[in-house]
Amino acid sequence: MPAAEPMPEAAVVAERLTKRYGSLAAVEDLSFSVAPGEIVGFLGPNGAGKSTTMRILSGTMAGTSGRASIWGVSVALDPAGAKRHMAYMPENNPLPEDLRVEEYLTLRARLKDVAAGRVSERVQRVMEDCDLARRAAGRLIGQLSKGFRQRVGIADALLAEPRVVILDEPTIGLDPHQILGIRELIRSLRGKMAVLISSHILPEVEQVCDKVVIINRGRLVAQGRPADLRRELLPERAFTVVTRADETALRAACLGADPAAVVSALPAVDGWSAFRVALPPDSPAAETLAGALVSAGIVLREISEERYGLEDIFLAATRRAPGEGRRP
Amino acid sequence: MRHFRTLLAHELRSAALSGNTWAAGGLFLALMGGIHFFALVDASRAPNARTPVEATLWFFWLPLLCVLPLLTMRTFAEERRSGTLAALLTTPASAAAVVWAKFLSVWVVWVTFWLAFTLFPLIAGHRLGGAAAGLLSDPAALWGGLCFIAVSGLLHVAVGILCSCVTRSAALAALLAFISLLAITAAGGALETLPIESWEWLGWLREPAAHLRTFGHLQDFADGILDSRPVILYGTGTLLCLGLAVLAVEGQE
Repeated sequence: MPAAEPMPEAAVVAERLTKRYGSLAAVEDLSFSVAPGEIVGFLGPNGAGKSTTMRILSGTMAGTSGRASIWGVSVALDPAGAKRHMAYMPENNPLPEDLRVEEYLTLRARLKDVAAGRVSERVQRVMEDCDLARRAAGRLIGQLSKGFRQRVGIADALLAEPRVVILDEPTIGLDPHQILGIRELIRSLRGKMAVLISSHILPEVEQVCDKVVIINRGRLVAQGRPADLRRELLPERAFTVVTRADETALRAACLGADPAAVVSALPAVDGWSAFRVALPPDSPAAETLAGALVSAGIVLREISEERYGLEDIFLAATRRAPGEGRRP
Repeated sequence: MRHFRTLLAHELRSAALSGNTWAAGGLFLALMGGIHFFALVDASRAPNARTPVEATLWFFWLPLLCVLPLLTMRTFAEERRSGTLAALLTTPASAAAVVWAKFLSVWVVWVTFWLAFTLFPLIAGHRLGGAAAGLLSDPAALWGGLCFIAVSGLLHVAVGILCSCVTRSAALAALLAFISLLAITAAGGALETLPIESWEWLGWLREPAAHLRTFGHLQDFADGILDSRPVILYGTGTLLCLGLAVLAVEGQE
């Protein structure tokens, strides 16, 4: 990490970012921030504007309007200054085919202002961290597998110990073992670097990220911690009930517990009837539903609360109108 | 121009290890070797106003059109196509440092090719020996001609670099460079051969035409005439092309 400097409130700030191609807005009025040391997942359907936003933040593309800053440095006004605090791995991770891994990382370290006396040490360190040292250090990049190429891209991103790391789909095309390794590596950066990571693999993002930013059609639709988003976007509490009772009896029992309960049928399970019981967000019946059903004479085989994953949050967020998302 | 030295060292190393450079070098030496051989044969048959070396240098346009585009075509076009240029620009290295490093490395390779060409007159002189060697080669004309190649090469390489900046296709970059270099060289040559002085209505062209006589510049350098005007012409043309190349690289999205 570079020498102590005043720490800004936000490591990455995107403020009303807009990128237009003629009349088409790839990104529009997009605002979010990433705190120092925070890992943030950047989500959106294909063509939502994730890569465009990341390219604007990394200084490889100019926005049409708005402000982007990295560690308090404006990307537009001082691109070299912003780049000194940041590393960016693009989606397709372009690498020179004719260089060996160690040569490439050494060149990148020099270009990223790593002190001359520390270049070799840093290159060895990131190669070890990314599991490249023993199996790939001396190999030509053009001969590496997709997994190793992704590791080279991530090793390059970590070389200069930047304040901010922006990774565009870092696990695309990797097998489960490789994904696990990359996930652990990213997790180890928590508290050391601010990481903005885009991925289509939502469970992976959920496991790694402190916060998610969801965009759709270039606009922010939601941002926050997954638990907060779950409460905001999917406030109802729902239960799956497997029983011998019919729908009429179950509905009567549920309405007895909470008059606002909504019961809907699910496909039968092993000859048992299955239902979904949805309760309002703060219904006290959520805590006593099982007892209430038994008291009403309902024979239960199973009752379980539905757990909404990031996938549900993502689907709910991308269904709602763009621009409804909260501002930071 | 931060990181210029790092980038230049990388570019020179890449050029030295690139098969493309060696292929271009082979083509260059084959072309110039063949031309020099026929110039020697020609000189052995009849007296000639030019020495074989001067006659060979007169064909500098041939490798300029056929070999130089091979050196410049991949500099930016290939990197833009593969995306490695965008990755390079995510580092604090500036577009100007990248353009100048690539430019200078190609120029060094181009000049090195021409220095390798001096082996031909040396070998011919060594084989023939004695007085014949003095008749076949004029060292002053040789080194003067090479100075012209080096100075005009600045502009020629810069044109090739600019052509490579504006496209993602190396083949198209080579074609653009070929056409541009042909226009530069032929314009000078055509103006030299046209009797502009006798055409009243083209009188205004006399002064600028005098500055664009490429072959006239070669003759001046070979004769040891030091004129600052061609040097300024090639220098400013180089700066213009490289400035445009920097803008093209900065503007790539």
